[in-house]
Amino acid sequence: MTVSTSAASTPFVSWAQRVFTPRRVVALAFVLPALVILLLITIYPLLYTLRLTVVQWELSNARAPIEFVGLNNFGRVLGDARFWNAMRNTGILIGVGVSLELVIGVGLALLLNQVVRFRSVLVALFLIPVLIAPVVSGYMFRLILHADVGPLNYLIYLITQGSSRGFGWLSDTHYALMSIMVTTIWQWTPFLMLIALAGLQSIPQEIIESALVDGAADWRIFWSIKLPLIFPVLSVGLLIRIMDTFKTFDLVYLLTSGGPGSATETVAYYTYLKGFRDFSMGYTAAMAFVQLVIIVIIARLILAMQKRQRREDYA
Amino acid sequence: MFLNLSYRLRRLAPIGLAVVVLFAFGALVVLAQDAPAPLDVVNFELCSDFGGVTVDVFGDAGHNLKPYEFWADDFAQMGITVNIVDAPFNDVYSRLQTEFIAQSGAFDVVTFYPAYIGDFAGNGYLMPLDEFMGREPAAVWDPVQDDVLAPFRELYNKFGGETYALTIDGDVLVMMYRQDLFDNPDEQAAFQAQYGHELRPPETWDEWLEVGEFFTRDAGEMLAGETLEQPFYGLGEYGQRGFSYAWYLNRFASSGGIYFDENMNPLINTPEAAAGLQNMVDALQYAPPGVLGYGYDQLRDAFIQGQVAMVVQWTDVPKKAGDPTQGSVIAGRVGVGRVPGTLVGDSVVHRSMMPVGRVVGIAADSDQPEAAYCIAKYIAYNRSLEDVSSSLTGLDPYRMTHLEHPEAYTMFESEDAARAYLEGLQVALADGFPEIFIPGAAAYNDALDLQVNRALAGEVSPQEALDAVAAEWNNITDSLGRDRQVELWRQALESYRALGLIQ
Repeated sequence: MTVSTSAASTPFVSWAQRVFTPRRVVALAFVLPALVILLLITIYPLLYTLRLTVVQWELSNARAPIEFVGLNNFGRVLGDARFWNAMRNTGILIGVGVSLELVIGVGLALLLNQVVRFRSVLVALFLIPVLIAPVVSGYMFRLILHADVGPLNYLIYLITQGSSRGFGWLSDTHYALMSIMVTTIWQWTPFLMLIALAGLQSIPQEIIESALVDGAADWRIFWSIKLPLIFPVLSVGLLIRIMDTFKTFDLVYLLTSGGPGSATETVAYYTYLKGFRDFSMGYTAAMAFVQLVIIVIIARLILAMQKRQRREDYA
Repeated sequence: MFLNLSYRLRRLAPIGLAVVVLFAFGALVVLAQDAPAPLDVVNFELCSDFGGVTVDVFGDAGHNLKPYEFWADDFAQMGITVNIVDAPFNDVYSRLQTEFIAQSGAFDVVTFYPAYIGDFAGNGYLMPLDEFMGREPAAVWDPVQDDVLAPFRELYNKFGGETYALTIDGDVLVMMYRQDLFDNPDEQAAFQAQYGHELRPPETWDEWLEVGEFFTRDAGEMLAGETLEQPFYGLGEYGQRGFSYAWYLNRFASSGGIYFDENMNPLINTPEAAAGLQNMVDALQYAPPGVLGYGYDQLRDAFIQGQVAMVVQWTDVPKKAGDPTQGSVIAGRVGVGRVPGTLVGDSVVHRSMMPVGRVVGIAADSDQPEAAYCIAKYIAYNRSLEDVSSSLTGLDPYRMTHLEHPEAYTMFESEDAARAYLEGLQVALADGFPEIFIPGAAAYNDALDLQVNRALAGEVSPQEALDAVAAEWNNITDSLGRDRQVELWRQALESYRALGLIQ
């Protein structure tokens, strides 16, 4: 009787032989460096931040111990009225601001799509705001919107023949957030315009012509043909803008510092204050994670819509 | 063709000459403004040659870093090259704290606002300076701290009894007003008729509102015998997020307020405190419409460009207001006085907040501590009169020497005007009241600033705002460790008592 002691005969080894074929090992060797770098620069910081969410760590007091507090930081975030006010402001910038960027951007793209001559020149001109650094645009709008010496209020003064001296665009709680929104719309609408234009130009002309032959009106062509066809690319642009707006910091910093009161404090700005003014690392990490969850949910919803649209297109 | 060229050259010559003259004049102006002239009022000697080391200096960006450029030749004599690194005004704390925590060793000399001395010295991020200060020869090493005014020396330079920083900017708030308007007989008569007493710079915060209301006029109305082309406002306030809390604290402190009791229970939301904030809210109706966006620059410009009758501002602003080259249209027409106070019992208590200010310290992880100290001492003492008496910087007097030399303040139209400015400043300094300067100062101040600003913006009532501050301050104290905070706060209270700020 022979008793086989060969490792080759065990189930694990045979599984390993099946999975790690020489071809796969070579492939893995090529992928591994990138994987390790990804783990180091993305996954590790993420896990480290997750660990911070369950501790109280006040860096402004170097002698204070790091204490485990469980989910207490999340409880504090959920009960923090200032955080939710910042979320509300950010939500308005996304809900109203990005929506307007989308509508105006698509409108401009439709117009530019009709233009044959000088289209590239016009596109280049429209793109100038996107090319300007947010710091520069922030300073530009700070001057334009200045309540006392800003050209906007001066124009209002001229137009109303002196009966109105304009508004405190950045110093009045009613207008401050709107002013930041206008600045972002001015800067980022061309980005969505560019994406929509690229989508429109990729639509085969035969489809439009067939619809015209069938007697479809312009509005119907846009609603039933152009918009569904550009939706996948538009949704990617929309997602980028939503994620970007969620991180709005520079304009708030430059234009209002979150004021007047807390009227323009965005969630990114509040996170900055907690992290780099108060140095409350655990609490800031919890805030960051709540934001991450929200942004992931939004991204999943948009991607799900995109997927459903694709399925409908194929159907 | 040659003649034609010659003719053209002859025609162009005057234009070319004009361009050259203009350029030369511009260059002269630039050179003339390059640095203040050495005054040699104090005796000092330079440190011995360090043989070519580089000292990294950190500070808030702008004109207050200019002294490091003014005196670069002297630094070179000491064998030191200064490398300046700056950060925006509001980011000094976060930038320094980040570098200190990371132990990056990025800076040797750090310029910061003294409210943070508890955070930095208390956490061991700064080097004690006493050993350097006591070295011989004194002309080289001694920064003559006895010459520094007591509030700056005791509250802003020391932590736990040791000196960790040297003052380079003696910020205190002071009231400034349009002297010409208060002296105008027509305005005096109109005020007397309207309010039943004489027009004078406000003594109390209630009078601040009264005078503010009186001078607020629409375009087309008369002011001091002239028809206004633009609206004119009675007063200005610092309404922007960042330091609006200090303008509120002028009111709070003068009503007898102190931040915490002995056990760190907040005293910021008393009825008197809420009344002070209500006064600031009420004042906004007599301020320019954009006042909630006013920071230092906007408030300064509103005053020196003749848009408002009075402001409370840092003490460098009268220097700018007296200097037409700084854009002032009211030079020679500026009065300086005590920040208004609050009637407590039978007497008016005045308190002037001392927000910002600047001190220099040596980073504990500096690899050039001796050279760094020589730079810090040079700026804090050797040429400090030149620096604070120049309108090229925003630095304010903080030494007796600075107050005893009105002739150095040449931006004023006369030595008498400079003397009046220094006297007003001395009075303001006597009323000086410090910010919170225990660890967590930035967080405490930010929480207060947010709620003050919310009340100013009408989002919440003054009492609601201050109740929220008290709750947040308790959270901050708990998160930093209440026992240690109580201990440090009690030390701070001792300093307050020693300076007579509280009983």
